[in-house]
Amino acid sequence: MKVPILKQGDFLIASIQGALTDTDLTSLQENLVSAVRKNRSKGVVVDVTVLDVMDSFAARTLRSISLMTRLMGANLVIVGIQPDVAFAMVQLGLKLEGTMTGLDLESGIAMLKAADQKQERGHNER
Amino acid sequence: MSPSRTQLPEKFLTLAEMMNIGDQDLARRKEFLEFGPDDEERLHKLAPLAVNYAEDVIEAFYEHLLKFEEMKAFFPDNATLARVKAKQKAYFIRLTQGKYDLDYVEERLKIGSVHEQIDLPVKSYLGMYSFYLREAWKHIFESDRAQPDELITTFFSLMKLVFMDISLTIDTYIDSRERTIKSLQQEAIRELSTPVLPFREGMLLLPIIGQIDSQRARQLTEHLLESIRANRARVIVIDITGVATVDSRVANHLVQTVEAARLMGAEVVISGISPEIALTMVTLGIDLGSVHTVGDLQNGIEHAEQLMGYKVKQFGEVNDKNYGDGA
Repeated sequence: MKVPILKQGDFLIASIQGALTDTDLTSLQENLVSAVRKNRSKGVVVDVTVLDVMDSFAARTLRSISLMTRLMGANLVIVGIQPDVAFAMVQLGLKLEGTMTGLDLESGIAMLKAADQKQERGHNER
Repeated sequence: MSPSRTQLPEKFLTLAEMMNIGDQDLARRKEFLEFGPDDEERLHKLAPLAVNYAEDVIEAFYEHLLKFEEMKAFFPDNATLARVKAKQKAYFIRLTQGKYDLDYVEERLKIGSVHEQIDLPVKSYLGMYSFYLREAWKHIFESDRAQPDELITTFFSLMKLVFMDISLTIDTYIDSRERTIKSLQQEAIRELSTPVLPFREGMLLLPIIGQIDSQRARQLTEHLLESIRANRARVIVIDITGVATVDSRVANHLVQTVEAARLMGAEVVISGISPEIALTMVTLGIDLGSVHTVGDLQNGIEHAEQLMGYKVKQFGEVNDKNYGDGA
């Protein structure tokens, strides 16, 4: 199932609609990274609310997307991990180190805005 | 993960093992009752007579027993009565069969625990022993009136053994009560469900009290994660002041909870780490690396407020007059 990528101002929103195969995940990675480049986005929210499982491939792909977009100057927030999914992931050792995580889309966008402002303040002070 | 420390027993424990009754304990019991080889000898001699009078004693015994309404309840039908009578007879005969060793103890404990399980009151149990001794004495006394001294000594031997049986039975009662109380206590502690308290917009407080085992830790984590979603929490303070000990397993659970909360976009502050717990953690080499830890709840709340960007300010002085009115 293809993941739609929506543009919302400076940010991109990738809202996962259903269970993803490994191929879907790989194409999500390609599409997101090129969309960040095309739109010169400052942040990305990946919404995984509908996922009721997160395997190691999915976790690793999401983490590498996050690292890649950061290299391109965009923060990435993963939002909507369900409680039981979160617990299962931790037990499997899938901790998404170095990735921002948020409760839902709303708080994800708030986090991106806060990070953006922080960066801007940093620039101004310099 | 450290390997589990619980080891499964190779076989099921006997009652005696569960109650820590070994050869040594049995020897002490006998010593205290002054029950020695002479007594065993006398009981052995009593055996033929005991087998003889067993039937009569049992009959008298149940006749007496069934006079009491509360006792009748234990014998709903004749089949049960007959079965119990047969058992009781075997039990009395066993008193004179020698070999008063750990196997004997185990038999006695089993009988005791059966009576405990059917809720036979101790007073009835003791009353029955008293009745038995009196009945047995009548028969022993009438067997040979020529040597009263010898008969009395024999009777004393029987009495010593019966008292050992009684002590074993009462021990099973006490042991089982203790077990019940302990398990009820643990259940009560477990059921003191760990409350999740919202104390500021987006902030939760989670005081943990009592022992944490794997099951409780799991419940706790589930409860916390659900609450994060329900309250849209950003920062959680877990206070472990009420947790007596933290071992590697509990610490591991804490770390997992913290990580899981982070995946849901919430940060966790752990407060209430006492010097003892800090020492244990360092000694065990437990790494709480990524977790915010602070000393007490006050620090925890301050730290959480800081994370949320709050600044608490005191306006004016504490009003002594109002302050005292509360009481």
